[in-house]
Amino acid sequence: MALLEVKNIYKSFGGVKAIQDFSLEANTGEIHGIIGPNGAGKTTIFNVISGVYPADEGSVHLDGQDVTKMEQYKITRLGMGRTFQNIRLFKGLTVLENVLCAFDPQSHYSLLGGLLPLPNRFKEEKRGREICEHHLETVGLQDYLDEKPENLSYGIQRRLEIARALTCNPKVLLLDEPAAGLNPTEVGELTELIQMLSSTMDLAILLIEHRLELVMSISHTIHVQNFGKTIAVGTPAEVQHNPEVIEAYLGKEDE
Amino acid sequence: MNILQIVQILINGLALGSVYALIATGFSVIFNVLKFSNFSHGALMTLSAFVGYFLAASQGMGLVPTILVSMVCGALVALLGELVAFRRITVRNSPNIYFFVSSITLGTLFEGIVTIWVGANFFSYPRFFPNPTIKLGDLTISTSSLIMFLLSAAALIILAFVIQKTKLGRALRSVSFDRDTSSLMGINVTRTIQFAFIVSGALAGLAGVFLGINYTLYPTLGSLVVKGFIASVIGGLGSLPGAVIGAVLLGLVETGLNYAGTLQGFGTSYTPVFTFLIMLVFLLVRPRGIAGSNIQEKA
Repeated sequence: MALLEVKNIYKSFGGVKAIQDFSLEANTGEIHGIIGPNGAGKTTIFNVISGVYPADEGSVHLDGQDVTKMEQYKITRLGMGRTFQNIRLFKGLTVLENVLCAFDPQSHYSLLGGLLPLPNRFKEEKRGREICEHHLETVGLQDYLDEKPENLSYGIQRRLEIARALTCNPKVLLLDEPAAGLNPTEVGELTELIQMLSSTMDLAILLIEHRLELVMSISHTIHVQNFGKTIAVGTPAEVQHNPEVIEAYLGKEDE
Repeated sequence: MNILQIVQILINGLALGSVYALIATGFSVIFNVLKFSNFSHGALMTLSAFVGYFLAASQGMGLVPTILVSMVCGALVALLGELVAFRRITVRNSPNIYFFVSSITLGTLFEGIVTIWVGANFFSYPRFFPNPTIKLGDLTISTSSLIMFLLSAAALIILAFVIQKTKLGRALRSVSFDRDTSSLMGINVTRTIQFAFIVSGALAGLAGVFLGINYTLYPTLGSLVVKGFIASVIGGLGSLPGAVIGAVLLGLVETGLNYAGTLQGFGTSYTPVFTFLIMLVFLLVRPRGIAGSNIQEKA
């Protein structure tokens, strides 16, 4: 069984069929790109996989466990990390605290430990800090620990979201348009970062992205969505020459 | 008016302000997390204060057991209230107005329970301190004021520490900012909201006992919650440091006005008029309060 198995999921909002019959199997070490025009239902796929809302039909299995109707935070704890299209950092918390929030569910001290200064709390807080600093270093943010994220550039905020997602100890990492709003240099750095994560950590990565050069250069498999339907699946080379894909992106040629 | 009197007013004002700070923070913790004004907070203070009275104080126990009983009662009842009155509204992401209606109903229920239970009688805590006043040189400080100030300050410092430095506080802050994202980061949002209610309820219990010591116990004692509300408006709704600053200012202003009023011969009856005027001025001129800078974004 694959690490992440998405089987024939459907999701509608009123009359809008956001996802129709989407399936995907991802294993550790793989990068799957999901592309398609705006409104093709890409983010909805992520939302169903990560449990924001359940699928109308179909199932999602993570590491052998059925997570189709599981609560979000439990799915996350099983090993799902994600970032967001519109950056969703906790404003008012520092960079380090943002990442610590994702570590806290794994730290072992209770309500009582929080209220009383027991040694266990200090030990766990220290462990959390070390792990978080390590992840921040991975994405290159070690110099921004005490900054507030709202004062930092878009590129750095996107990296911070990745660090926060890594802190959830994910087996599957969902990246929702990580390159949106980045300049070409930053896109290059991001591409390297994603490749580095994929090769050094035990992760399956799902990537939604509009920058085709990024997706095409690093993905092993590409899923092309249009109006909620999958119109093509294959390697970047296969997909690029698929007439339906070209039509969805460029419009139909007049004959 | 000499220096001594000014110092006296400052001390009494701080003591009163610290009790208001307990009310205001208890109120603000919930406002922060769920973005609504918890109108059952006052009635919860009364209920906890009475439970403390009957289970501890009237059994001959001292101040500390009474406070503990009241705080535990406040926390438990707040938890129960969250489950009964607010859980479904939170889970369904219903409009805020439901929270308001629910909390008003819950408050009326608490008040009703207390009235049925004790009748419309006044009760007063036994004298907890053998010496009602402490003399420091020429200063006379009421023992209860001093104890209130010290205990309130301790409670608020612990709370500040928990919120700033522990995972419970971080969860509270991230859930206050964005419930959905917090949940996607693995935070158990329901637990975190429960924690907020435990904190708020325990603070209500502590404040309830202090109010009872100050003004005797009666079923509508909780209406003093309005002082906490004024304090949090002055300080900035939703901001915990703001609530404390606002409460201390309010305590000082009230004590000062009471003193000036007594001096001028028209007593203390004008004090509430002035404090409400101050709140109105704040709402008109600086609705975000002293410390609330990003409330627009939060709401």
